Amino acid sequence: MRHLKPLNQKADRVVTAVETDKMDEVRAMQTVVVGCTSTLDPGWEVDPFGGVAALCQPMEADLYGCSDPCWWPAQVPDTINSYRDWNADADNAGKDWRSLGTVFPSDSET
Amino acid sequence: MIKRMRKGHLAGIAGLMLLLPVPAGAQDGATLLEENCSGCHMADDSGALSRISGQRKTPEGWLMTIVRMRLFHGMEIDPAVQSELVHYLADTQGLAPSETEGLRYVLEREPAHMEEVEAPLGEMCARCHSAARFKLQRRTPEEWALHIDFHVGQWPTLEYQALGRDREWLKLAREEVVPLLAERYPMETEAWNKWLEAQKPQATGRWVFATSLPEKGDAYGALEVTGDSQPYSVSGTLMTVDGEELTLEGKLNVYTGYEWRANLDIGGEKYRQILAISEDGSSLSGRQFVHAEDSLGGSFKAARAGGDPAIVGVVPSIVPAGSSAKVQIVGTGLGEVALSGALEVTGGEANAYGAVIDVAPAADTDGLVTIAAGDAATEDTLAVYSHIDSLKVEPAFAVARVGGGGGSAGKVPARFDAVGYWNGPDGQPGTEDDIRIGSVPATWSLAPFNEEAEHLKDTEYAGSMDETLGIFMPAVAGPNPERPFSTNNAGNLKVLATSGEATGEGQLIVTVQRWNDPPIR
Repeated sequence: MRHLKPLNQKADRVVTAVETDKMDEVRAMQTVVVGCTSTLDPGWEVDPFGGVAALCQPMEADLYGCSDPCWWPAQVPDTINSYRDWNADADNAGKDWRSLGTVFPSDSET
Repeated sequence: MIKRMRKGHLAGIAGLMLLLPVPAGAQDGATLLEENCSGCHMADDSGALSRISGQRKTPEGWLMTIVRMRLFHGMEIDPAVQSELVHYLADTQGLAPSETEGLRYVLEREPAHMEEVEAPLGEMCARCHSAARFKLQRRTPEEWALHIDFHVGQWPTLEYQALGRDREWLKLAREEVVPLLAERYPMETEAWNKWLEAQKPQATGRWVFATSLPEKGDAYGALEVTGDSQPYSVSGTLMTVDGEELTLEGKLNVYTGYEWRANLDIGGEKYRQILAISEDGSSLSGRQFVHAEDSLGGSFKAARAGGDPAIVGVVPSIVPAGSSAKVQIVGTGLGEVALSGALEVTGGEANAYGAVIDVAPAADTDGLVTIAAGDAATEDTLAVYSHIDSLKVEPAFAVARVGGGGGSAGKVPARFDAVGYWNGPDGQPGTEDDIRIGSVPATWSLAPFNEEAEHLKDTEYAGSMDETLGIFMPAVAGPNPERPFSTNNAGNLKVLATSGEATGEGQLIVTVQRWNDPPIR
């Protein structure tokens, strides 16, 4: 990290985590309740530390970085293949998040 | 394959029609399948349609498959036809009751269940979705291979996500995971062949049940299922522990001969039941939850009225020492009640829900009570207590989600129980010999889980806890300009319960909403 400088507050926290050995706490898979993803990049429901403070928040700021490359497709509709028009009416997720629909149709129940 | 299945199905129908109601038009299921699916799915020489014929799954599994055809491939289908097809496929290519054992939590939408998934299936599959999602499927080896290929084609970035990029994912998937899945979850099983031939249990008739409602607590009642075709009609009465009588009414679908799916109005609130009828038709078990908030619900057990003597629950299940109570033993075929253990009482009288008995434990009584009634008995379902040594919050870890605020995803609340314990013979709390009393009244509060949560004022923003019900209602979705970086109203909280001198603690993660929320997560 000697040649890298944090550009913003969050990056600064990563550096702090490295310096205080907190990165050792990063686990490959989190134990969360069923239906939550355990893939951590950093994770959809929980962060690598088992909390939420190190999630990308507000998630709307980076939401299309999640949906476009189908990062958590079981939680966030992927626009790469499955739901290409999911965010067609919401250019700015931070402002337009209310226009994003849930994808499983409400007319379908057993 | 499909011709063979169809023949089997029709032969089965001939034998079963008198035994169980068949969904209207199910006889035409094969025709509907051909009409709606063969445009894309080619038939082989035997008439079996590609992909479809090599799979078996739950009704929810088939529903998700058909919905996926609509959403991903633009298939147009009438909702009634979709419903018929789900019935037909779940009936002819479903799972036997034993094939769903241990995995029903995902169908029941149990909110706090934690899966323990063995390698390599944990990293390869269950890092994105539940393990139950694939464990509740049966496929031929070719179908499992195609399933992997479909995943890579549909979600290509899975290979460079965490736990994808650190291994040769596709090689592993094809060479290790496919044979493993084909061996563990094969298309052909004895269990399914036997179930296809078995006499299916009846849903119609009268059932006596015990359950709990999120806000009203322990409850019991009776419901009647009537009708010659699906959906059946359900009507009945639910009694709360406080004596409130609520009317119950709704509709029921039954799939694969035992999968009970009902939508009910109970006292003006919409509920959903995901239950299984036991193979012998004597009982029901599963979960009932608020339709719009499936994290709020409780277990549901029922016995067929007039069947073999059985006890399905006791309401209330705890009685404070020094008080008096009417205890409803919920079940069927119950005669005179005999309590033993911490209470020695005989008597009571039969009623529409089983039998009821008056108890008045002395002020210093502590202990569990065994209940015998007629030829039925149950141990440790009733506790009398004068004190509590320790308190545990259940679930110890839960996830809630922000929602609402004009967005499409609703809030996902979380509900907790404060479970009282006695120390047991060693006199120490938190050890294996502790004796469980049951869910006791408690006062609930929240605290920051750690320093970060305190710094971000999570308790202020993430939502609020009902002090007496133990129900946490999360805050509104969307960026919150009042918080650092306009962060969402997420939070990491301690859930604190106090009952007398005893206190308990759990953890609650309040996280962001999901937009993809199918019946099997």
